[in-house]
Amino acid sequence: MTDKRAETAQLAKVWDNPRGWRALSDVNNSIVGLWYFAAAFAFMLFGGALALIIRMQLFVPDSTLVTSEFYSQAFTLHGTVMMFLFAVPIFEAVAILILPGMLGARDLPFPRLSAFGFWCYLIGGVFVCGSIFFNAAPDAGWFMYPPLSTEQSGIGADIWLLGLSFIEVASIAAAVELIVGVLKCRAPGMHINLTPLYGWYVLVVGGMILFAFPPLIAGDILFELERLLDWPFFDVTRGGDPILWQHLFWIFGHPEVYIIFLPAIALLAMIVPTFAQREITGYSWIVLSALGTGFLSFGLWVHHMFTTGLPSVSLGFFSAASEAVAIPTGIQIFAFIATVMLGSVVRSVPMLFCLGALAVFIIGGLTGVMVAVAPFDFQVHDTYFIVAHLHYTLIGGMLFPVMAGICYYYPLIMGKNLSRAYGIWSFWLMLVGFNMAFLPMHLTGMLGMPRRVFTYGADRGWTELNMISTVGAFIFAAGFLLLVWDCVRPKGHQPQVPRNMWNAGTLEWAASFGNTWGMRSIPEVNSRYPLWDDKDFLRKIDEGEGLLADAKEGRRETLVTSVLDAQPIQVLRVGTPSWLPMIAAAGLGGVFIFMTFKWWLLMGLGAVVFLGAVLRWLWTGTAEIPEKKTKDIGGGKRLPLYVSGYKSTGWWAMFITMTGDLTAFLALLFGYFFFWTIHPDFPPPGMFGPGWFWPAIAGVLILLAWALTLGARLVNSGGQPVLARLLLVLGALAALGGGLALMAGPWTTGLDPTAHAYPAIVWALVIWILAHLATGMLMQGYGFARLLYGKTTPTHDADLWNITLFWHFAAFSGVLTAVVIGGFPYLT
Amino acid sequence: MSKEDPVTAEVRRETGSGTDLWSVIISPSIWALHFLVCYVSAAIYCQKLGRDAPLSDIRLLVIAATILALAGILWSSIRLWRVHDRSLTDDDFEYEHNTPEERHRFLSHVALMLCVLSAVAVIYVTIPMLYLESCR
Repeated sequence: MTDKRAETAQLAKVWDNPRGWRALSDVNNSIVGLWYFAAAFAFMLFGGALALIIRMQLFVPDSTLVTSEFYSQAFTLHGTVMMFLFAVPIFEAVAILILPGMLGARDLPFPRLSAFGFWCYLIGGVFVCGSIFFNAAPDAGWFMYPPLSTEQSGIGADIWLLGLSFIEVASIAAAVELIVGVLKCRAPGMHINLTPLYGWYVLVVGGMILFAFPPLIAGDILFELERLLDWPFFDVTRGGDPILWQHLFWIFGHPEVYIIFLPAIALLAMIVPTFAQREITGYSWIVLSALGTGFLSFGLWVHHMFTTGLPSVSLGFFSAASEAVAIPTGIQIFAFIATVMLGSVVRSVPMLFCLGALAVFIIGGLTGVMVAVAPFDFQVHDTYFIVAHLHYTLIGGMLFPVMAGICYYYPLIMGKNLSRAYGIWSFWLMLVGFNMAFLPMHLTGMLGMPRRVFTYGADRGWTELNMISTVGAFIFAAGFLLLVWDCVRPKGHQPQVPRNMWNAGTLEWAASFGNTWGMRSIPEVNSRYPLWDDKDFLRKIDEGEGLLADAKEGRRETLVTSVLDAQPIQVLRVGTPSWLPMIAAAGLGGVFIFMTFKWWLLMGLGAVVFLGAVLRWLWTGTAEIPEKKTKDIGGGKRLPLYVSGYKSTGWWAMFITMTGDLTAFLALLFGYFFFWTIHPDFPPPGMFGPGWFWPAIAGVLILLAWALTLGARLVNSGGQPVLARLLLVLGALAALGGGLALMAGPWTTGLDPTAHAYPAIVWALVIWILAHLATGMLMQGYGFARLLYGKTTPTHDADLWNITLFWHFAAFSGVLTAVVIGGFPYLT
Repeated sequence: MSKEDPVTAEVRRETGSGTDLWSVIISPSIWALHFLVCYVSAAIYCQKLGRDAPLSDIRLLVIAATILALAGILWSSIRLWRVHDRSLTDDDFEYEHNTPEERHRFLSHVALMLCVLSAVAVIYVTIPMLYLESCR
């Protein structure tokens, strides 16, 4: 027994949180998740306060409470904060907090990346929100339509663009972390058909982020190039088109609704079975509907653009897809209702919120089916009907489930219980207040009140409805604040809750409160609800009979398993507390923030800090060669400590990141072809660049750089690291030449990016590729240095695998760009 | 090569090849491609020929794309049906056992139902093209 006690003490020491001011350097998922959560809620309260100001202004007609300028800033910031700083990050927060426990992992595979994402989010969020105190907040609506936003907005539009681009980095970081987590870090035996539904939803949503966020990043780049350098992508007088922004924004914006909705509904999939005290009904149906929704949600974006004058057949396609998405969405709802009906429901606060969520969301879903019909949408577009619809979907589909999740998981995270009476009061206040605020808006909209007007005349007949809405909004806010108070009020005198107080069946409840290592030992999982099915389960975990019960080497370790059948394949050493993620985030934040004010010198400084921190982080913290080849994890199993290539988590992270990167590139390329479709002559008369010669040279050199990098990996694994170094140097030279040649095309033919949208988009593509070539060269240099210092060897070559993978993508984008800008003008 | 015992051989026969995560997303990917082909071709067609252009030419293309997409989904369904249809463990729709075979049947079931959903969505998307007359 002493052995076991020593093991426990060692685990506690290895996973101990840093204390004092060093606590801020923590990276453990249980702490970073909590920070994330607290920040998201702080932003939510801020956005809510703005909403109350909006409602107060609309309480009476011809109100003069706030000015029109302030009102514009308030509603823009309200939408922006709720969507970008609350709805999406709360998903990341909850997932970082509970996913590892659910999967039986000690931590997520890249804890430092989570911390980096959190700091990016916090800095960007404070920057965007803070602007309203300087009367400089964005004021063109949360979707920033040009030309209003490009021609008239002050610095607010830049703050919106750069602040949010920065936060998108955090989302993509979270996507990488969570996808790899679900696929590779499940407990042994947790086959893909036994994975908790929450894991499935996170996987789907992670995939969606990779295809939804990058088009917005591409759009942001074009937008900022127009604002900063006057490149006319959205300026009709110089061949641009504001509709391009609408496309890029909504290719992001519609899937985003589902990115918000799915992980919240996933909480329902965890909570409902617990309180119905039976397994979920139709597990496989829920999985398929999550996947189906994920796909179909990408075919809906034009339904936000029904009134832009697109051909009716285009509207028809999107209208049809918008109706089709109701099918998988409905399947999940029916599965939840069936679970409730087949089980014997335990009355509880989380369950109240779940049922409220279903009721409210169904109403929002039904009005969604209404507005998906184009002729109906023509009538209510940009009215309060839409405001009502979107709040029903978001509050029913996201806020209520998150509230249920808070009440459900609070005892697990904090060790104390929330008050039942407060919870019930809070629920009814929120439900009644919400419906009082938003149900009348359907009518207000039908009566013709447009959204975003700062006041209205008494003769319009909207007064009473608006008054009811305002009163409802305050009741709703009271209910919300009651729950917040219940969460933060001191509970020192309360006893600690018993373990697994709701008698849940899933793995996260096996954790005992008060440690950061998750479970004492990692169990073998044989069913979807191991805590229900195996009465001996907890004892086996606690007595260290599972795997990886010790941390003899003093390192933080978790198990990596195979994707489908969760066979253990590696012991992964995960990151320990470090200041580097925070410093890197501060550097990157500097780049984005100083760019807003055009303080170039400081911006350069930020870039240097960022690069320095990232390089140091990589150099000291990743792909470390372990002191021994394998480790005994118990149960007679020995697993390798180092793997490279597609077996490693790092390779998958690179693959996922680059998939997102490729999506952004394709969105830029979409811009190029979009301009082709709208111009009768393309390239426009009088513009001859970039010719075929320089792009052809560039394409060849980029291919060469790729081949040399791949060659370096191959000869290194063949036992010739010195030759590999030489190939990397040559590869970097080829990349440099390729970049220069690519630039020479538009340069020598005198394409002026401010003259017309055509040269502007050509230059935008060129700049994108140049940035990738420069990153690729940096990586080649990094690989060279790793080889030189013996940190990469013929048998330990994870770095080279990842660099090569980057180059696969970079070369593909580079060559495609060369072919398109060099070749396409000759086809038209 | 050493001889496998019959049970291992049977499990391998059942699970060795067939449904993985990629084949689960085949049918929705076909839907996505079909959707893009329909939307992009119609958008370019209408942009280049003007709003008065009749849709008759592009309609043939969309119908051809629809037939192709449905054929692809059908092919995927038949493949999946074979895996989905037989079981060593039990024949229910729960797929809750911790064997590779159950995992396999589970993924096949999910994929098969996604085929149905994708086919429905493909047909939905085609409908507007069947009754609209011009690019207006």
